[in-house]
Amino acid sequence: MATVEEPRTFIRPDGKEKVTGTGRYTADLVLAGELVAKFRYADHTHARITRIDTTKARALPGVLAVVTHEDVPDVLYGGMVQDRRLFAKDTVRFEGDVVAGVAATTAEIAEQAAALIEVDYEPLPVVTDFEAALADDSTLVHPTWESYEGDEALGRHDNTLGYSTIVKGDADAALATADVVVKGRYFTDPVQGVPIEPRAVIAQWQGDKLTVWTSTQVPYAARAGVATTLQIPESNVRVIVPLLGGGFGAKCDFHFEGHVAALAKAARRPVKLVFSRREEFFAVGHRREGMVIEFESGARSDGTLVARKARLVLDKGAYCGEGGFFAQMAAMHALGPYELENVHIESSLVYSNNQPSSSIRAPTAPQVCWALEQHMDELATALGMDPVDLRRKTLIETGSVTATGQVLERIAMKETLEKAVEMIGYGQELPDDEAIGVAVGWWPCFASKSGAYVKLNPDGSGTIITGAQENGTGSVMAMPTYVAAELGMQPEDFSMLYQDTDAAPYDMGSCGSQTTFNSGRAVIAAAVDLRDQLLDAAAEKLEASRDDLELTGGSILVMGSPDKSVTIAELAGEGTFHGKSEDVVPDGPEAPAEGCVGRLGLESFHAPQLIAHAVRVRVDRGTGVARVLEVAAAHDCGKILNKIGADGQVYGGVVMGIGQALSEGTQLDAEGRHRNAHLTDYKLVTASDAPKIDVAWIETDTPGAGPKGSKGVGEPPCVPTAGAVANAIAKVIGARVHKLPMTPERVWEAGA
Amino acid sequence: MSVQTFTTASTVEEAIAAVAAGARPVAGGTDLVVGARTGKSTMPESVVAIHRVAELHGVESLADGGLRLGALASHAEIAASGDVRKRFTALSDASAIVGSHATRAQGTVGGNLMNASPAMETGGPLVVLGATATLRSPSGTRSVAVEDLWTGPGKTSAAADELLVGVEIPAPAAGTGSAYLRLEYRRQMEIAVVGASAAVAVADGVVTEARVAMTALSATIRRIPEAEATLIGSDGGSAAIDAAGAAVAAASTPISDVRGSADYRRAMAAVIAGRAIETALSRAREENA
Amino acid sequence: MKVAATLNVNGISYPVDLDPGTNLLTAVRDVVGLTGSKEGCDDSECGACMMLLDGQPVNACSYLALQAEGSAITTVEGLADGDTLAPLQAAFLDLGGVQCGFCTPGMLVSATALLADNPDPTEDEVRIGLSGNLCRCTGYDGIVKAVLSVAGSS
Repeated sequence: MATVEEPRTFIRPDGKEKVTGTGRYTADLVLAGELVAKFRYADHTHARITRIDTTKARALPGVLAVVTHEDVPDVLYGGMVQDRRLFAKDTVRFEGDVVAGVAATTAEIAEQAAALIEVDYEPLPVVTDFEAALADDSTLVHPTWESYEGDEALGRHDNTLGYSTIVKGDADAALATADVVVKGRYFTDPVQGVPIEPRAVIAQWQGDKLTVWTSTQVPYAARAGVATTLQIPESNVRVIVPLLGGGFGAKCDFHFEGHVAALAKAARRPVKLVFSRREEFFAVGHRREGMVIEFESGARSDGTLVARKARLVLDKGAYCGEGGFFAQMAAMHALGPYELENVHIESSLVYSNNQPSSSIRAPTAPQVCWALEQHMDELATALGMDPVDLRRKTLIETGSVTATGQVLERIAMKETLEKAVEMIGYGQELPDDEAIGVAVGWWPCFASKSGAYVKLNPDGSGTIITGAQENGTGSVMAMPTYVAAELGMQPEDFSMLYQDTDAAPYDMGSCGSQTTFNSGRAVIAAAVDLRDQLLDAAAEKLEASRDDLELTGGSILVMGSPDKSVTIAELAGEGTFHGKSEDVVPDGPEAPAEGCVGRLGLESFHAPQLIAHAVRVRVDRGTGVARVLEVAAAHDCGKILNKIGADGQVYGGVVMGIGQALSEGTQLDAEGRHRNAHLTDYKLVTASDAPKIDVAWIETDTPGAGPKGSKGVGEPPCVPTAGAVANAIAKVIGARVHKLPMTPERVWEAGA
Repeated sequence: MSVQTFTTASTVEEAIAAVAAGARPVAGGTDLVVGARTGKSTMPESVVAIHRVAELHGVESLADGGLRLGALASHAEIAASGDVRKRFTALSDASAIVGSHATRAQGTVGGNLMNASPAMETGGPLVVLGATATLRSPSGTRSVAVEDLWTGPGKTSAAADELLVGVEIPAPAAGTGSAYLRLEYRRQMEIAVVGASAAVAVADGVVTEARVAMTALSATIRRIPEAEATLIGSDGGSAAIDAAGAAVAAASTPISDVRGSADYRRAMAAVIAGRAIETALSRAREENA
Repeated sequence: MKVAATLNVNGISYPVDLDPGTNLLTAVRDVVGLTGSKEGCDDSECGACMMLLDGQPVNACSYLALQAEGSAITTVEGLADGDTLAPLQAAFLDLGGVQCGFCTPGMLVSATALLADNPDPTEDEVRIGLSGNLCRCTGYDGIVKAVLSVAGSS
């Protein structure tokens, strides 16, 4: 175990195009003859469609295509449950449901045409209170849910899309024996990903072949979505991602590529869709879900946790998308990185007529962690213990067995806590309007298949061909450094062909903090394969044993015979060298998880990342305005391969977490419509509100980790930030804020 | 966008003629174009760009101790003026926190006043500093007290053919201090949820003059005579300040919206007004010192 | 009806025909053809479209293009000296100021304006000066460090 101190400098290969403005994002591309796409969205958040008449729209000069459900195959799609159509057919279920699409010569004409489409509705009762949606007599968002294809393990029933429990021992009996019991009920508003680039999609058909340029985080999922919904083979669909202007999960999943492809086919012209910021808020099927979270924990007077009960209700919104696993993921965060003897956690993922929720950076974790870490501080208060001491006593450590039965080998949970409190100077004297709050969390790695090639060009330069998606983090941009290290070459020797589904094998995309873990592993495997090929060729050419050869400085040398060598460039000019990965996906740890239902594989956390954040916050007691002044973030994310990139994830993730803590929340009206779908009133943290952030990496050698012992890095920084801020606020004002975000008004209401 | 006619005026006369003919003046564009892009308003059919009219620019200290602002004086220019900072501090406070660096560089005091948002930053300070706006039309020039300029959100008492050409602030009485404060969730890029301005004069430890105005708490920015009355003749101590804050809260008629509930706004009216008054008083005492 | 005008962008004069309601961002991206400046919002909140107008920062999305006739317009494409990156551009790369890159053009333009106004700013002045540019990736850390590393050295 070591703490990384020294900087490891790295200049990203896509940097020059990004700082000079010459890089192209999707909306920057122009195809000859391209048309503009606009959507007609649902006029109600829950209604039966009785009539769609596109006659007037089609008659408008400049309109080349109007597409509704009648113009595309009748296909249901979705991740773990197939519950959605590209264009609403008989029912609209949320504000952003697309009823029709228009392609026209100008944006103005397309907008006018979309407004001219006549849609008649029979309004249905709107389900916005997702907790009430659990009731037996609730209106069903999907009355035909039983007919949908879906993963059996979800335990679907009525409005419940997913149900998951973690059960160990007898929580009720244990609570009765506890010296101290505390209870809390918490509520969170929905939160948005808000990549600064609003999404854009361009589709062009050439014969039966479709090319889609799109701002997606998951090009292969986008390709599969297009193929499924339009009923064409994946080989006819090529998805290219130009530079991607951020995603944070909001650009995961298949979204609008199918709509635009259908419009382009109907119009027989390329079609471009560029979202406005307003659409980027309300129309995307991706936001962080609202939750109701209830905790009850009991402890002995020495701080030992005897039991925890939790009840979680998660707002799925109108459709499953790729967020079907949320019930179990949330349950695992309600368990948290703690040692517990008796546990009863119940988690429900519930349909509503709100915007669909799906993965946003560490889905479900920040909200549950915010509530749990407040709950733990409340328990500490009830015990008369310092909250850090309570965590020292109760956190998992190497050798711990989780409530699901997973044995944790070599983790640095407690070490991150110690480092974070040391960095922030926990216990120091502070002005009476300031306090330090601490929170901890965890997050799993996601093992998935990935493939890559590395080829040498005749001049000795190389090209890496990967399915990985660069969303900005730099995780793809770091790949030349891994390949160069295997081949004794320089990172600058390699170009990259990426974000093109026709070029590389399947990859999961930039989601689940998995790029280095899986795509990095594949790229290194391809480099090793290429290395073997080069060694074979060099052994023959140099008449030496392979075992005596060494790759260094762009050459292959015979060890001990300095005269005998061949440059890689020379070999490259003589042959065709191309390495390919043979991917071996690491097995996840086993967890018996007896008595738990809704098991989707998350009952064990593969190579968990452990996180502790300590924050210093000032609260204006007169107004309730809280400002985060300083953050100390200590992470066990395994071996850090690219420090500038990893640090950047913490800086960005912490600031995103501060936004979620204090100012970011979507407000919905009584019918589930966005009230603040714009950046004036959905407030991101600005440079002047972002605090000083200190980062420490505690490197462990966790079994099942990724290449060179690395784990994920991108999502964890979001996990405990809001919880730490909440604990600091509570210390200053002497009261708990039970609603997230903790806006000035809510802090003031709580008793600032 | 439906602009059909665009002209650029190079003199005030050209600008006024265009306005009289129905054109909407544009300078920094920070309200007009944004309003149209967000769908809050539509672009006018006819626009006259006045940003190059030299005589509408400038921040000028007058011989009588007053201050003249050209309608096109930018927030950045006002905030950078040493004289404004020293003697018209409330205005400096406000101009320094409008929007962002770019908003302050492009946005003008004239645009701010004529957009007539009850949440505008510069309005309250100009009201408590006793400023008058100069309006010109083809038929002549008139002055109107800034506090009488607004008739409702987005509405002014200016006639359709009148152009705001400048703002004059009289010399403050000796021993005057002023301040503007807003409730801000973030330090920058804010629109006032609650704002308050105060200008007070102190002599021999007694408040001799007081003007207090509230921002974003009613349909237009306006003075609160009840708050002023509690201050005048008082020692400017915490009891007087609290009473003035309470008077502001009592006079407010806030709305509930995504930025805050009416109850919160009303409570904050007292807090923010109290702090603005306190700051103004402390500045006044420094003047006397 | 379109109006003929000349826009001077990065020292080059471009004859353009514009609808009078066209904003400067659309004119530069779609008519002049420089796509470095980005459109990230509709209410002048994100700053991705930031340009300089005679050296002063402007949210180009909310400025009428025809108003810019006669002014020197600078975009991110005008910051480098040929193939040599401006010090700010190089510092953004060295110090982790660039991730997805979508805010980068506007951020660099605002930073350029900030340093022109105030060549040796404090960290807080840098943070205030860049508050009209939202970044979702970096937490502003690398950006602020980059601006400070260049400040005072010119």
